[in-house]
Amino acid sequence: MRRVVFSLATFIALAVVSFVGVDALPGDGCTALLGRFGTNAKIDACRQENNLNDSVVVRIKDWSGDLVRGDLGYSIKRDEQVSKIIIPRLRNTAVMAAVAALIAFPSAIVVGLLLGRYPRKRISKAINQFSVIAMTLPEFVIATVLWLVLSIWIPIFPGVSVMPSNASLLQLLPNVWLPALTLAVVIFAHSMRTMRASVTNVQNMPFVESARLRGTNERKMISRHIVPAALPPVVNVVALDGAWLLTGTFVTEAAFNFQGLGRLAIDAISDRDTALILPIILFGLAVYLVSSILADSLVRVFDPRLRSSNR
Amino acid sequence: MGRIRKVVVIFLALVTVSGALASCGRTSTVAGVLRVGNDAGFGGAETMDPYDGNRTWPTINMVFDRLIGVDKDFSPIPELALSWSSNDDLTEWTLELREGVKFHDGSEFDADDVVYSINRMIDPEFDSPILAVLGVISSVTAVSKYEVSLSLSTGEADFPLLLADYRALMTPVDSQSTIGKNPIGTGPFKMETFDPAGTTVLLANEDYFFGQPKLSKIEIITFADSQSAAQALAGDQVDLLLAIDGKSSAMFGDEAKFTLQNIPSGDWNAIDFRVDQEPFSDARVRKALRIAADRQVIADTVLGVGGGVVACDTPVWSADPYRWDGDCAKDTEGAKALLAEAGYPNGIDIDIYTSDVEVHMVELVTAYKDQVKDAGIRVTIKMADASGFWDDVWMKESAFVDSWGQRPATQVLNEVYRSTASWNPTGQVDKDLDKMLDEARSTKDQAERAKKYAQIQERLFENSAIFLPYHKTLTRAMSSKVKGVEPIVIDAVRWEKISVS
Repeated sequence: MRRVVFSLATFIALAVVSFVGVDALPGDGCTALLGRFGTNAKIDACRQENNLNDSVVVRIKDWSGDLVRGDLGYSIKRDEQVSKIIIPRLRNTAVMAAVAALIAFPSAIVVGLLLGRYPRKRISKAINQFSVIAMTLPEFVIATVLWLVLSIWIPIFPGVSVMPSNASLLQLLPNVWLPALTLAVVIFAHSMRTMRASVTNVQNMPFVESARLRGTNERKMISRHIVPAALPPVVNVVALDGAWLLTGTFVTEAAFNFQGLGRLAIDAISDRDTALILPIILFGLAVYLVSSILADSLVRVFDPRLRSSNR
Repeated sequence: MGRIRKVVVIFLALVTVSGALASCGRTSTVAGVLRVGNDAGFGGAETMDPYDGNRTWPTINMVFDRLIGVDKDFSPIPELALSWSSNDDLTEWTLELREGVKFHDGSEFDADDVVYSINRMIDPEFDSPILAVLGVISSVTAVSKYEVSLSLSTGEADFPLLLADYRALMTPVDSQSTIGKNPIGTGPFKMETFDPAGTTVLLANEDYFFGQPKLSKIEIITFADSQSAAQALAGDQVDLLLAIDGKSSAMFGDEAKFTLQNIPSGDWNAIDFRVDQEPFSDARVRKALRIAADRQVIADTVLGVGGGVVACDTPVWSADPYRWDGDCAKDTEGAKALLAEAGYPNGIDIDIYTSDVEVHMVELVTAYKDQVKDAGIRVTIKMADASGFWDDVWMKESAFVDSWGQRPATQVLNEVYRSTASWNPTGQVDKDLDKMLDEARSTKDQAERAKKYAQIQERLFENSAIFLPYHKTLTRAMSSKVKGVEPIVIDAVRWEKISVS
């Protein structure tokens, strides 16, 4: 409980810092709308109309008041409610993240387990090498390779997405695959290596030795002893990677022209569309705070020692 | 264990189903439908109002028509106006309109629409970007249903070319409040769905006065960046990209599948020096800064070989009938001598601001710095943040990069170089130049006028504070199934003549 209150306080403090930070940047919604040839008179009139001349304190008050009432604000440049812009993009990114997670996490855990259990097999070594490469390659390289192979050489998936942000789920799904695969390669390598290291570590522990001496068979050994003990560190990595899937997709979305939150964030920042930048920052903050709380609670489920010490 | 197996089975089923969906989702060329890839431009603020600063291009040119168009050689040709004439002062112009032209909603186009449209363009309250082009118009009146007369505040021999601006489009009376999202034009295509951040759909206007379009539909698909747009063309998801990055052209080397067109354009980059700030107030320093560089090397470095046409500080582009081509070869000794004369015998240190606000702007300063060092000009490159560049750096710092789009000679010279121009980026006041500009635009004889414009450009090379090394050559890329796109600037392309087989 204390954890939640602390997170909430962090959230509020960071929200205020973000507002002031974004506000301090040169340019605002009006210069964004009117662009290079906007005259001073026009910009002033626009600022007046949108209350941009009020002091920072007044604007933070107005903004947070609206936020509490569920009003995310209004984008001057895009002439639209921020919620109307963000929600379809959020859905698209969430679908993409879910597909990436479904591909990457289960396979990472299984492969990591096998690699940790049978490290000497040639195939294990090969997969290990591949994961090192996958981790070091920038996303846009992975994206380009996947595009070349799965869209041009073997034309399975559409190369870049050519759909409106509010396309139906059926229209969306085909476009999700290449970006999701790109993200999956990155997080697969990451979480698989954590799992492998954790399994290697657990295998050398005395309780595994004693289980073996009791004559436990291989299947039971894995499911009862090794996996539960090896999972806690992996859960933390999965939580972090999961949060990254929702908030760190800028490059991948741009590479595939995917209409998600990451691409919107890039556009909003380059447009100085402050009304749009802030909710995206806040969403990212919330995702990280929630996922770290979630990870800690999950670790407790797996690790009886933490449960008892909490009493 | 049983539950895990179930999850795996469901997951695999999901993969198979959406894999199948994905294959269906792969679009490819359909005869009669043209898919144009377009860059985001104004990031969601786009409007179909052609007079608004956030007008979405080239869509407006598919839906609306101008009074006067331009031919391949950039001479004026009839569009909605059939003919035009002026008095001897070039201050009063009369236009005869095409009869029987219908807007997309069935109403008839006539002189009232022209009066309404031009009044919106020159409304100081609305302050349209096209006011900078057509600000010479002081009034417009309907003489009869098919005749309008325009009064200009100054004689302008090339007024028909100004009317051929891509934004000088004709809109129906009282359309101001609706035109942004529901445009009604006379053009070859009618708006079906307007979605500037996604896919905009246009359908053929079968009653188009230049003949029924060969296409049945145009889809304009928005891309966040040029790389993903190029990928879409390579993957047969779009058919036409109006401009690709020169470096992407290698992707489209397969002549059986793609057609590339290199089109000299009037777009230019420049380095501007503020004449109200030291040391650029000295004309000798300015000239030294401009003659110390090899322009061809700069163009080749920045744009790629063949990517640009060298300009001797003239904003008038290579296909413009008034273009002047001087000799502006690199002159290191001349530059050194001028600097010494101006009091800088040991060379000079200058700061130039740049930013990646537009492509080529950083490369330009880098190439320039390398070129001028032989003459003792030591450049420090100052990187400015892209988002604040136009507000905080452009026209404010002492030296900075610049970028302009194509304009006819009279327009670009009066809009950027005239002392009183609001966007005169260097603050240079040259009353003689202003007088020469007035004389040139009010000379009725074409050959005589061309001579005067040549003299103006020569003067710019002597005196200007703008180092303008090149005009860009655009690379247009399309599927080889697309026919009828002539290798000329987009303002002269006839959309109704394009077909997709």
